[in-house]
Amino acid sequence: MNKRNLILLGFVMTVLAQLAVPAWMIFERERTLREGEVFKFKTQPVDPADAFRGRYVWLRLEPDTVPVPGASAWSYRQKAFAVLGSGTNGYAMVKRLERTKPVGEPALKVRVNWSDGKNTHISWEGLDRYYMMEDKAPAAETAYREHNRATNQNCYITVRVRGSMGVIENLYIENQPIQTWLREHKK
Amino acid sequence: MNNKAIQWLYGELPGLVSRGVLTPDADSRLRAHYGPAEAERPARLAIIVFGVLGALLIGAGIILVLAHNWEDLSRPVRVVLSFLPLALAQGLAAWTLVKRTESLAWREGAGALLFLMIGASISLVAQTYNISGDLPGFLLTWSLLGLPVVYLLGAVMPALLYVWGITEWACHIRFEDGFSAGYWLLAALLLPRLAAWLRTDRYQVRPTLLMWAGCISVTIAAGVTIERVLPGLWIILYAGLFALMFLAGEFWFSEAEGFWSRPLRHFGAAGVLVLSFLFTFEWPWHAIGWNYWHWQRIHDSVWRSIPDAVLGSVIPLAAIALLVTTLRRKSPLGLIFGLVPIIATLGYCLSSLTGTYAPAAGLFDIYLFAAGLWLLVTGIQVNQQGQMNVGLLTISALILARFFDSDLNFLLRGLIFIGLGIAFLTANLMMLRRKGVNHEQA
Repeated sequence: MNKRNLILLGFVMTVLAQLAVPAWMIFERERTLREGEVFKFKTQPVDPADAFRGRYVWLRLEPDTVPVPGASAWSYRQKAFAVLGSGTNGYAMVKRLERTKPVGEPALKVRVNWSDGKNTHISWEGLDRYYMMEDKAPAAETAYREHNRATNQNCYITVRVRGSMGVIENLYIENQPIQTWLREHKK
Repeated sequence: MNNKAIQWLYGELPGLVSRGVLTPDADSRLRAHYGPAEAERPARLAIIVFGVLGALLIGAGIILVLAHNWEDLSRPVRVVLSFLPLALAQGLAAWTLVKRTESLAWREGAGALLFLMIGASISLVAQTYNISGDLPGFLLTWSLLGLPVVYLLGAVMPALLYVWGITEWACHIRFEDGFSAGYWLLAALLLPRLAAWLRTDRYQVRPTLLMWAGCISVTIAAGVTIERVLPGLWIILYAGLFALMFLAGEFWFSEAEGFWSRPLRHFGAAGVLVLSFLFTFEWPWHAIGWNYWHWQRIHDSVWRSIPDAVLGSVIPLAAIALLVTTLRRKSPLGLIFGLVPIIATLGYCLSSLTGTYAPAAGLFDIYLFAAGLWLLVTGIQVNQQGQMNVGLLTISALILARFFDSDLNFLLRGLIFIGLGIAFLTANLMMLRRKGVNHEQA
């Protein structure tokens, strides 16, 4: 094979690899959205900007504390898997923390922040952003804050979980998708 | 011999032949020996620069447009759109490879665009599915998918973007307390490309640009990849790194002309002088050495101290090996800059043994003063105004730093400032006058 053909073959393989990465990301998420179990997480929106990925609503998920016995066994920023269940109020709850991925149970990646002896404080990895249009993300946050003061209504996201992969379905305020809620609460 | 030197030689040859210095036969033998001189083509360079600039602007524009986030579009449409910029850039690169393979402007432009669109595509998918978090993972995937473009298109722009990507990756991994020594492996993946460019012509623009970027990147990476198991190891590592850069530039790129065409030499020299200046202070020498091992870090994961051991020994030893060659070549400049890792190691041992900072800082006071004085005097002797000013600046910085350390009154400080200012002006005026005389004599 001459040099030119070798370069062209290399180029074809590179192109395929470059297409395969986003394609695999899409395939995995679509599968999770289709087959995953649905969990509701209470949340509060706060909006920052990201140079690469446009504007989004930054989400602070609950529960952010887990009653784990022997909490001091966890160190700061340690990776863990939060095994999920549904509480009596319909929202997601953490059954326990595991160091390795549990088999056959829905679990999401978290980071251990700190522990006060009885409870361990965690942050949810990869479930902290909900992307919206450039002008709508700050509007969503402002509207939420104003209405939250007036009505103390709830805000939550639905997440599909398959194995240890979680994909956000939608962000809800007062049981309405954020897009519908924003339209109805336009000033 | 580099192209500019050959052009100069060919310009001189007719005059030398007509004045009888060379025979016509010698003229033709010289021309046969050096081969044809490629004429400088500024227009071509302008096309390359504007091609790359255009590609970068289009790429950045597409990223910003995508960042606008069309939430009204359905998910399947967004999925298709996330592939569109990447597919277009790939198409352009394919067309360049088949139809414009000889055009450096097309290769550079298409390469830069393709590299940026890989990142844009992954970002858009991340946006569609609200994927967040893992910035190092994103940077690493992006850089590795862009690396083959450097080789296939033979372009330097994607190589520069790759260097940026892996440096950012190492910094983020470090920030998250991860193991960032993989940077060196990732950086080594560019070496075959750089070597191929250097073999063709070591003074062309592409390897020169890559070496400037490499110097900056390696300087950052050396700091973020060591695990700080042995406090103060950075002193020996950086002294070795900058000396190695200088000596490599001095030996293997000695025929380059102008400041910008000698990245290793000039980056290394600046690094050595700035570092030595910092070492004349107290703070680098506090609480360093084998009495202050970070046992906890070693206990947690002993294998993480391997990069420290390798980097802290290989780089300074390589610099010292080159220094030995310097002694053989009788290059005083190489000796001055190449001595730094040895002095730094000596200072490190002194501080560790005595638990004080004064001997090590004093050692660098003497070194920097001697180096500055040598640069100043030889700069004047060989009519090198730049070298003379670097020497003068070094001595001035040292004097100012020491006098500000001590508790002197304003009058004395003011007089020192005035004295140094007069020294600068006089030296430069003398140099200009002497150059003027030389010019008239010529």
